[in-house]
Amino acid sequence: MARTTKEERKKGIISAALQLFSERGFYITTIPDIAQKVGMSVGNFYNYFGSKDVLAKELLLYISEYLGKNLREINEKEITTKEKIEEIVSMYFRVAKEKPEMIEYFLRVYLSNREVFGSECKGMICVSPFVTEMMIFFDESVSRGDLYNQDFFSAFGLFMGYLGGMVFLFGEDILPEPLSFYEKDITENIYNALKSRS
Amino acid sequence: MITKEIIDQIEGEASIYFDMQDGKVDFADIVFPHFRGMENILQGKNALDALLITPRVCGICGHSHLMAAVRAIEDAYGNSGQIVKLTQKAHNIRELTLTLEIIQNHFKWIYMVLIPKLNSLNNNALQETPLKGAYAASLATKAMSVLSGQWPHSSYMVPGGVTCDPTYIEIMQAKASIEKLIAFFERESLNISLKDFLRFESCKELNELFSDISKIEEQLIMLNMHQKGFSYDTFIVLGEHAFSKKAKIKMTRVTGVDVNHVSTEEPFILNERSYAENALYKNIFHETGPMARLMSKNIKFIKNMHRRYKDSAYTRVMARIYETGYLLEHALNLVSSIDVTQKSIIPLNGIDKVTARGIGVVEAPRGPLIHKIVLQDGIIENYKIITPTQWNISSGPRSKLSPAQKAMSGLSKKEAEFIFRTFDVCSVCTTH
Amino acid sequence: MHSNQEAKPQLLWLQGVTCNGNTHSFINLETLPQLLEKFEILYHPILPSTKNLHEIVSLKNSCDILIFEGAYDPVLKRGDTLIKDVIVHYAKEADYIIAAGTCASFGGIFKQSAPQRNSGLVFNENITQGPLMAYKEKIINLSGCPIHPEWLSTILNMILSGYSIPLDSLLRPQELYSSLAHHGCSRNEYFEWKVDAKGFGLKEGCLYYEQGCRAPMTHASCNKILWNGVSSKTRVGTPCFGCTEPEFPRNDNYVTKTNMSIPQDVPLDIPKRAYLSVAGMAKTFHIKRLEGKLIDYKRDN
Repeated sequence: MARTTKEERKKGIISAALQLFSERGFYITTIPDIAQKVGMSVGNFYNYFGSKDVLAKELLLYISEYLGKNLREINEKEITTKEKIEEIVSMYFRVAKEKPEMIEYFLRVYLSNREVFGSECKGMICVSPFVTEMMIFFDESVSRGDLYNQDFFSAFGLFMGYLGGMVFLFGEDILPEPLSFYEKDITENIYNALKSRS
Repeated sequence: MITKEIIDQIEGEASIYFDMQDGKVDFADIVFPHFRGMENILQGKNALDALLITPRVCGICGHSHLMAAVRAIEDAYGNSGQIVKLTQKAHNIRELTLTLEIIQNHFKWIYMVLIPKLNSLNNNALQETPLKGAYAASLATKAMSVLSGQWPHSSYMVPGGVTCDPTYIEIMQAKASIEKLIAFFERESLNISLKDFLRFESCKELNELFSDISKIEEQLIMLNMHQKGFSYDTFIVLGEHAFSKKAKIKMTRVTGVDVNHVSTEEPFILNERSYAENALYKNIFHETGPMARLMSKNIKFIKNMHRRYKDSAYTRVMARIYETGYLLEHALNLVSSIDVTQKSIIPLNGIDKVTARGIGVVEAPRGPLIHKIVLQDGIIENYKIITPTQWNISSGPRSKLSPAQKAMSGLSKKEAEFIFRTFDVCSVCTTH
Repeated sequence: MHSNQEAKPQLLWLQGVTCNGNTHSFINLETLPQLLEKFEILYHPILPSTKNLHEIVSLKNSCDILIFEGAYDPVLKRGDTLIKDVIVHYAKEADYIIAAGTCASFGGIFKQSAPQRNSGLVFNENITQGPLMAYKEKIINLSGCPIHPEWLSTILNMILSGYSIPLDSLLRPQELYSSLAHHGCSRNEYFEWKVDAKGFGLKEGCLYYEQGCRAPMTHASCNKILWNGVSSKTRVGTPCFGCTEPEFPRNDNYVTKTNMSIPQDVPLDIPKRAYLSVAGMAKTFHIKRLEGKLIDYKRDN
């Protein structure tokens, strides 16, 4: 087995941490739990993350960058605004299905335990990579005349609140059908709500 | 015999077609050939864009246009249900910068137009120092700029007040520049203190001064300008400021005025198309400018001069010179009256809520400037500008001469051209 | 320059469709007497000239430096002569042709007087086109509405001293147009920390986010060489209107164009993502000192 790089080790910790936080909960999971799952000593763990709080913030940034990167790929495609909405919804639901621990972390740890993140994650700093990409999407869509020009937050809240809500219901096993079943109607709803008004 | 003379260096150009009889002007019609269509350019634009565009009607009196435009918009606000009441601070700052623009205009006119043109009639008897006028003007605009940001083409007046929020640093800077300018005027032009000059009641008091101003006065008498250049002795002032009072003045009778009786008409065209509309009050020609304003304020010096010399070219010129000093004192008083702790702007609803008409009137250097705006949801449906030179230098038929046409009648061509310039012509404003 | 040591370079100031703003701005020059000593002014709209308008349009002279103010209109006449013929005549023998102002540089506001036929000398807005294309290598564009007198005096003095004048792609001197109007604005700290001005009439706050300030996107020296020696638009709370650029005048001034609260135009050459990330970060912090008034006039200690 080839020696894994520091970067790969870090990614391993992140993946393990997300899994454990998702299965057992944020407060119950300890550093030794995570270190054991990854197969490293607690001491070595602290070489990567100074504390559980630092880890918590890094996870947030990691998820935001991951989603932000996917969003950017969609933003840069030469497709219509409506098609982009469709792809954003699809991407978000795909992550929810294939890496549920990511979206779960965001909904159940970040949004529900704000005290963990303290003053260093004020406002939207720690989710900046994702929010910036949403800003780019909105800016271009309005600039092209496809979406109605309104305040950023009323549009952002509609889009993200809707998707987050659906994923939450999915996580609670309330949805009778798989997430992909709802994509088409959700895309229509979002597009119709946000599109330009004549 | 009809000859065409092109007059230039009047903020643009004009052509006068002189019909001479025995070497005297029998009739003159006046043509302003250049048209830029500012009113068309404004149509369809957002109301606030008028604050950027209208100063560009004119490089020497653009600030007056800014004030007329913002007043027109504020009047429209009022007519749509939101009365605009400026703070004393905003009001005084606006008045101060307007006053300083008039001052710079007059300095330029005295030293760069009046003296050289007098010299063309009197064999260069006066010393020509045009850069004195340029320097004095630059001091006035420097004083203004700490508040307005720049001159020419400031856009610092917005509906509800002004964009600037000065500290006493700016106020003191402005005051220092004004004081410096007054000292310059006293030393270089008057040879007496400003206070004493403003106390003069008769032109005789100028005699012993041996200054630029007294020499100009001497030359005017020598050239008999006190017996030439008479017009209708009928004046109008429409802008209300501390230095002017809204009034119609016929000879010495003062009556009230209503801007709604102002109208414009196509100029009388005989030889060539002119783009300058005539401005009239109750269908009668009136003269505007410093002489009108000082008469409206009952200034003794001018009233006494008028008693002796009526509305001759002499009175017209001396009034402009006197007004320079009069406004300098006014500027100094204004700058000392600004309370920086007051607000600069009274907040208003968005301009897109305004569907109404509005009229803005100010006294620009040459007389009343009127901007009329018609707004639909904050967009300009119609814009009309009436400038002072449209009053003074209108073009009428023999049966109804304009103030300038009447003043030029019966004179030699050279004298007539001089008389023409005593009205302080602004070609770009006239046609806009 | 003509080689005669005694003769001063001859300067000719002609006008197209104009308001005379550049003429009057130029007269504000503090060092005007010294500058004028160095030239023979053949003709100028207000300064003493050695020739009169009639002589100038009779096209029997030449000049060393041709300054043109105003938009070019092919049917405009001055002194009863088509400006079209006058400028081409003088352009031939001039060593330098200076477009004074945005109208002469790009068309500016007076292109709108006759949009189909008016333009600048060698640019029609940002397209290369104009009556003096054949003399493009002599052209220096001093755009601005109006120009600052020192921009013109700097260039004239550089010409007299024999310095070469590097130009940008719009033929504007890099000395004057490489900085942005934003450089030197007294509200810079508010820009850095994204503290927006709350309406007009306040010395606190940055005018970029809501009041339509174009300074971070405009090439000009306005906050470096102060206007009238003392001031600038942004220092007195008026947003920059971008008057040195080919798009001037823009519509809907005094308001920042946003799409879902995101500024349509971000500072020059800054990638939008980079700007939004930085702005988003800065906006999160509420710096008490920056959100309060600068001077408390009511404080008594």
